[in-house]
Amino acid sequence: MAIYGLWVINKAGGLVYQRNFADGLAQLTSNEYLVLAGTLHGIHAITSRLSPMGSSSGAQVIEGESFKMTILLTASGTKFVVLTSLAEASPDALLQKVYEIYSDAVMKNPFHTPEMPIRSEGFDTRITALIGSG
Amino acid sequence: MTIHSLYIYDRHCTCVYYQDWHRTRRPKPAVEGGILPAVSQAVSPSPHLANSNASVYSGYGSPRNTLSSNTGVVVAVNDMLNQAPSTPLLQSPTSPNPVVLTSTGLAFDEEAKLVYGVILSLRNMIKKLSGRDEQFVNYRTSAYKLHLFETMSGYKFVMLTDPAAESLRFVLRQIYVGPFLEYVVRNPLVQMDSREHGIDNEYFRASIDRMVRGLSVFP
Repeated sequence: MAIYGLWVINKAGGLVYQRNFADGLAQLTSNEYLVLAGTLHGIHAITSRLSPMGSSSGAQVIEGESFKMTILLTASGTKFVVLTSLAEASPDALLQKVYEIYSDAVMKNPFHTPEMPIRSEGFDTRITALIGSG
Repeated sequence: MTIHSLYIYDRHCTCVYYQDWHRTRRPKPAVEGGILPAVSQAVSPSPHLANSNASVYSGYGSPRNTLSSNTGVVVAVNDMLNQAPSTPLLQSPTSPNPVVLTSTGLAFDEEAKLVYGVILSLRNMIKKLSGRDEQFVNYRTSAYKLHLFETMSGYKFVMLTDPAAESLRFVLRQIYVGPFLEYVVRNPLVQMDSREHGIDNEYFRASIDRMVRGLSVFP
C-alpha cells in the first residue's frame, strides 16, 4: 500500500501539477514527466475508440507489474492521475477527494490562471494532509 | 464476463493473427494491402467477384498451404463479413439470439495499428516510470479491458475482454505455450517472421477457439 505520485493534466494534455510521495518508482526530470503526461493524454483518447462493445470511456486504470495508474477524467476535461501500488484499495475515492480539493483550492483562487501550472500553497498543504508529505 | 478479441503481433509491429468472439462493434474489413494475407478471414479485404480462382483467396491465403486443399475441404471465398466459417473445424455453435453488429467506423488495419500504438506507448511509459524492466500488464476502461503478454521473441499477444475480468496473462501464455507452439512454430507450412503472411491456419484457429471457449471467464 503506497501512493507514489499525483499528476494533474489539463484539457490540452499539459501537465499542470506533479508531485511525488513515496519512493519506489524512478525519479524523472520534470521534462520527462511532461512528455509522459502528453503521451497519456493521447493514449487516453485512443483507448476510448478501440471499444469492442458500444461506446467506452478512456482508460481508467493502467497496470504494470508492481504499480498502477488510476485516471479520473472530469467533465471539464482535466485529468487526475494517481500512481499507486497494485494493492491500493480505493484510488478512485482518493481521486475524488483530490478533485474536491482542486475545486476549492485552485479553481476558487482568483490568482490562478486556468490551464496553467498550479502554484498554490493552499492546494499543496491540503494534498499533504490528504496523502502525506512523501 | 466474456472475451471479445485476440490480436497477435510479431516483432515487426505487424498484426499476424486476429480472432473475435461476441463482438457487437466490428471494424470494417481492411483495405486492400492493409493487412497481410492469412491474418483473419473475417476482416480481410473482399476479393473481386469475377475471380474464378478461389484457391488464391481460400481461407488461409498462403499458396503453400496444403492443409485445406489436400483434405478435400472446400474453403469458401470470403465474400461476406459475417459469413459463417465453412470448414468443419471452424464451425462454431450459432448463438440463439443474433446480436446486431455495428461498426467501429475504423477499418481493421487502422484498428490494429491503433491497438499496437497504444500497447507500445504504454509499455514505454511503464518502463520509464518504474525505472526497471517492468512490463505493462493491462488497462481497463468502462467498456473493456486490454491484456498484454509479450514473448522473448517479440510476439505480442493482446486480448480484449470485459472490464470485470481478472488478469488474463496466464491465458495468453497458455495460448503461446499450447496452440501457438504446436500449430505455428512447429508447423513447417507457416512462414514465421516473413512480413508477407500471417500465421492463421485452421488448426491454430480451432485450437484457440476451443481453449477460449473452455475458460471460466467465457460464458
